[in-house]
Amino acid sequence: MINDDPKAGDLVAIALRSFRESILPVIPADQRFTALMIANALGVAERELAAGGKGEAGLADAVGKLINAKGDLRALLPRLCTDIDVGRLDAPERQAALRAVLMDITRARLAVSNPKRLAAETSRSETQKFETPGSGR
Amino acid sequence: MSGGGTGLTAERKAALESWLAGQAGARAVTVTDEGRLSGGAISLNLAVTLEIDGGRLDGRHACVLRTGSASGVSASLGKVQEAAVLGAVFATGATVPEPLFVGSDPAMLGAPFYIMRRAAGIAAGFRIVKSDAPQRDLARELGRQLGLIHRVRPGTPGLEFLPLPEPTAARQAAHDFRQWAGRYAVTDPVLTYGLRWLERNAPPSGDLVLCHRDYRTGNYMVEDGRLSAIIDWEFAGWSDPMEDLGWFCAACWRFGRNDREAGGIADRDDFYAGYEETAGRRVDPHAVAYWEAAACMRWAVIAIQQANRHISGTEPSLELALTGRMLPEIELDLLLHLDAVAARGGFV
Repeated sequence: MINDDPKAGDLVAIALRSFRESILPVIPADQRFTALMIANALGVAERELAAGGKGEAGLADAVGKLINAKGDLRALLPRLCTDIDVGRLDAPERQAALRAVLMDITRARLAVSNPKRLAAETSRSETQKFETPGSGR
Repeated sequence: MSGGGTGLTAERKAALESWLAGQAGARAVTVTDEGRLSGGAISLNLAVTLEIDGGRLDGRHACVLRTGSASGVSASLGKVQEAAVLGAVFATGATVPEPLFVGSDPAMLGAPFYIMRRAAGIAAGFRIVKSDAPQRDLARELGRQLGLIHRVRPGTPGLEFLPLPEPTAARQAAHDFRQWAGRYAVTDPVLTYGLRWLERNAPPSGDLVLCHRDYRTGNYMVEDGRLSAIIDWEFAGWSDPMEDLGWFCAACWRFGRNDREAGGIADRDDFYAGYEETAGRRVDPHAVAYWEAAACMRWAVIAIQQANRHISGTEPSLELALTGRMLPEIELDLLLHLDAVAARGGFV
């Protein structure tokens, strides 16, 4: 196809903004749940299109270090799964390193699917660090 | 709200009324369809009022007609089986809706169904957890109720269809989760890790009891601060009693009230104390911690299955589609829990 503008991400973003500003305020109460789900779905799509795989290189590096391999994230994740499955990461210190990488991957996904939850989690873990320095949790 | 694909057509209503009259030994039964009740991504719940003229149930009854939806998830019971479970639990004296009629013939309404009494109150989790003070009495009562439910044991007549876990409740659960996760078990490393952890830390076999398996805030009804009914029995099965306690306390079912670890309503102490009053066994906190990890995992694979109902095209639904995108937050809860138990020690 010819590169038509505006792009998909832009279209989704402006559709969501119009929906929020013009439609959501006048939605009848019995349709509000569906309307909020529509806004939520558009928001996830907008963030996914905007992210466009940014940050994946850093995560791939972290996974690669953990399992001593190279490649992009898509190629490395099934190999990580295999390593977990066969017990290569069973030792307690290996599990701790694994959990840290898994937490980074999960936070990156959460930034797309539920940034509010990510923000709440970030402020919770920072408060905890502040209150109990050095204890981890 | 009758018709429109969610209520009863005139033809089905007439068939239902005539069948109910026969079942109740009544001269006539009139069914008033009051519309679909909220909640229930897997089941359809219709508010109905039955006017029964004569027979053993003569009078007017506010009821719920519960039937399956087009596609379910692997763990869910059929409606006839669910009604049998509900009947066995009702017999223990637990606060559950009494099942009145069971329709096993799918021809009548398009799918098997049952009719139970309708409880008053609210169930929505985000409303239940809204209170300034912790709801200690409610937590204690929910503990007592769970103790009563767990008095139903394998061998109970009428529940022969429920499979016994093999070789243990925990190993069966881990096996089921792996099956249900499908390709995600080998492509999503958080799920792979969770499965590995559950398999390595599975507790030995203990008591087997009837577990509700979805015993949590959101699945009980409260009227004026008091428990009015425990609902949504479609996942019930024989398991380790600590599974239900772990599910109730799991981070994913606190509706934002992480400071109140028993279902977002109170501390664990009241819930555990209530349980020990009626169950005839002690709460094992180590086992509960195991089953809390299993709870995150179970919710994750159910979310995958819900999303697949949409993705496969069998049941296009925005709600089911969005459930698939809840996976990262469920996995976050799992990782936080595994971090916490690693810090406490006791698991490998």
